[in-house]
Amino acid sequence: MEIVDLLGPEAVIGQLKVTSKKQALQELAQRAARLTGIQERTIFDVLIERERLGTTGVGHGIAIPHGKLPGLAQLRGLFARCDHPIDFDSIDEMPVDLIFVLLAPDTAGADHLKALARVSRLFRDRAMCEKLRGTSDPEALYALLTSKTNGGH
Amino acid sequence: MHLFGEHFIFFGAALVVVSILAGMLSNRIGAPLLLVFLGLGMLAGEDGPGGVHFDDFAAAYLLGSVALAVILFDGGLRTPVRTFRLALWPATSLATFGVVLTAIITGAVAALLFDFGWIGGLLVGATVASTDAAAVFLLLHAKGVRIEERVSATLEVESGINDPMAVFLTVMFAELARAGGTAPGLEIAVNFVFQMAGGAAIGIVGGYALAWLVNRVEIATGLYPILVVAAAVTIFGGTHLSGASGFLAVYVAGFVFGNRRHRAARAINRFHDGLAWMCQIGLFLMLGMLVTPHEMALELGQGVVIAAVLILVARPLAVWIGLLPFRFAWREVAFISWVGLRGAVPIFLATVPVLAGVPGGTTYFSVAFVVVLTSLVLQGWSINFAARLLRLVLPPVPEEANRFDLDLPTGTDREIAGYRLAPDSRALTYPYHAIPLPRRTRILTVIREGTVMDRGKLPSLRIGDYVLALGPPEQLHALDGLFASHRHDEEEDELRGREFGDFMLGADAPAGMVADLYGVPVDPDERNLPLGAFLKRRLPPRPVVGDWVKVGEVELVVTELIDDAIAKIGVALEPETRKLTIARARQRMREEIARAWRRLQRLGRRRRT
Repeated sequence: MEIVDLLGPEAVIGQLKVTSKKQALQELAQRAARLTGIQERTIFDVLIERERLGTTGVGHGIAIPHGKLPGLAQLRGLFARCDHPIDFDSIDEMPVDLIFVLLAPDTAGADHLKALARVSRLFRDRAMCEKLRGTSDPEALYALLTSKTNGGH
Repeated sequence: MHLFGEHFIFFGAALVVVSILAGMLSNRIGAPLLLVFLGLGMLAGEDGPGGVHFDDFAAAYLLGSVALAVILFDGGLRTPVRTFRLALWPATSLATFGVVLTAIITGAVAALLFDFGWIGGLLVGATVASTDAAAVFLLLHAKGVRIEERVSATLEVESGINDPMAVFLTVMFAELARAGGTAPGLEIAVNFVFQMAGGAAIGIVGGYALAWLVNRVEIATGLYPILVVAAAVTIFGGTHLSGASGFLAVYVAGFVFGNRRHRAARAINRFHDGLAWMCQIGLFLMLGMLVTPHEMALELGQGVVIAAVLILVARPLAVWIGLLPFRFAWREVAFISWVGLRGAVPIFLATVPVLAGVPGGTTYFSVAFVVVLTSLVLQGWSINFAARLLRLVLPPVPEEANRFDLDLPTGTDREIAGYRLAPDSRALTYPYHAIPLPRRTRILTVIREGTVMDRGKLPSLRIGDYVLALGPPEQLHALDGLFASHRHDEEEDELRGREFGDFMLGADAPAGMVADLYGVPVDPDERNLPLGAFLKRRLPPRPVVGDWVKVGEVELVVTELIDDAIAKIGVALEPETRKLTIARARQRMREEIARAWRRLQRLGRRRRT
């Protein structure tokens, strides 16, 4: 499972202009709705539901909201780099500026976990995060995220 | 050279100074501190350049007892109730049954392999059977390494309470060896029960009485610590006079006293910290001087073999059997087995046969010394590595380091926490008046470049400002989140990711929802259970941070406890990357060597500049 299998170039946002966690999730749900054809509200609810179990702000300015979406055909990723870091209730209480949303069909079992683990590993690479923070160009971001060398085993 | 007058003063004090400086150096290369003290003592002694001839076993026994009493009291003082609750029964099992088994196995092998005879062999086993409080406390609290609580608590409490058994066995076998071997009768068992029960009882009463006394008398602040240490040694000595175990009494008294609210707690703790250090340095220097290296060298072979039997066979077997009723994980058993650190006590106990006039008494002393040296070198040096290998190292609590607490008089329910703002303190991102202070907390003062700022006119805080905040103890963590630095180093991050998993869940998340999301198999009747309760069912009775269980394809890890209840749970998505394999063990080994090498290089750089 590679990032390129989850993420299309059209799913990268270079400058997300939001001021709160809720707003960020709304914006991303809207974007995801356009990509998947599933209702924005449904997506938003799934993501918010997941946040209630515990924040997906994993620290160091990174958040990985995720959830299972009935009716989704395949695993879908969405990446956004925030203009200004926002409060995300992160585990280290630091504001978040890199967000990767991962949506999975509700039938996806092991694949979902593998994809999620892959994304989690990607953002554990500090050098990668710094590079992502260095540009707001969606194409450059996409190239970085899908580069073969990033955070592999 | 004779140890008299000025010579003694100069030599003794200079030795302590050198020890401390050498200790600093040893810290950087990761050598066990106590080994350095012991080594310096040997260098100062008759075969080293110091050339001091010190062989007064009676004086060593006397001073050693007092030093041990102070170290044990300090250990008790620093043992939180939680540690005790967590570890009392496993530690008691190790401290009684475990010590006997260790002594018997080690002793039997010594008797079979060398010409000690049965009683002599068992005497050897008894002297080296207990773990050392000084070494264990020191190594488990080494800066920057946080070891899983179940094992650290067990090791700590064990080392605090296992000396009486070893003392008892040693004295018994020494008596038998001297008298020519009469079989022990019922009398001896009664005596032992009295030693343990009496020691514990006097310790409890003494601890309460001491707290009462400290809260009752009005004396200069500086006198409280002196009062406490004098009282501690009084308890120790008094218990001995009564025939019960003073070692046990003084540790228990320290524990009871330390966990009662009492006056001048900070002053007393600081003083005792320093004093315990002093005693450790003094004790190990003294024992180093007491040994005669060229005589010890004669017993080197025997000593090393006995140490090997102790470390590789007797201790693991005793720990394994002793912990069977307590459902420890194999990793925990392995670590506790390995960290059976020997220290001053065996050397100290080995003076007993000499003083009791057992034939060939100094042989016991030399053997015990070799065993302790081997243990300190081998186990002392590898304790962090072993913990890492067995996945018992936890990521440090991040904010702890850069807060300083101020002591308020008892009964106020408020604490003052001070912070120096780091570039990444969260409070810097808000205007001063909009800082989201946690409930029931307030900022008392802001000091910038030595000036107390007028808080009414302050637009915002700056890096380097000192902030004093007042709040109830339970809000200190929230204050940390606001004012303390969030910097982590990379090694820590990696550890956090590896040990605490990819995502964090609240303990109140419904197990059913978590199950659907991460493919965790749950029974239908468990779906409505909070995740914390779901996890607790699958863990030993008192969960600790770092406990984990594999469910389905993921592992759930306890990452935070509040008041003994699971509060946060990590989800590790790739358990297979966490498993201990040979390849990974080799990887850890390489990391460890690289780390040691970096430390050495840093040391070199510092010297050159």
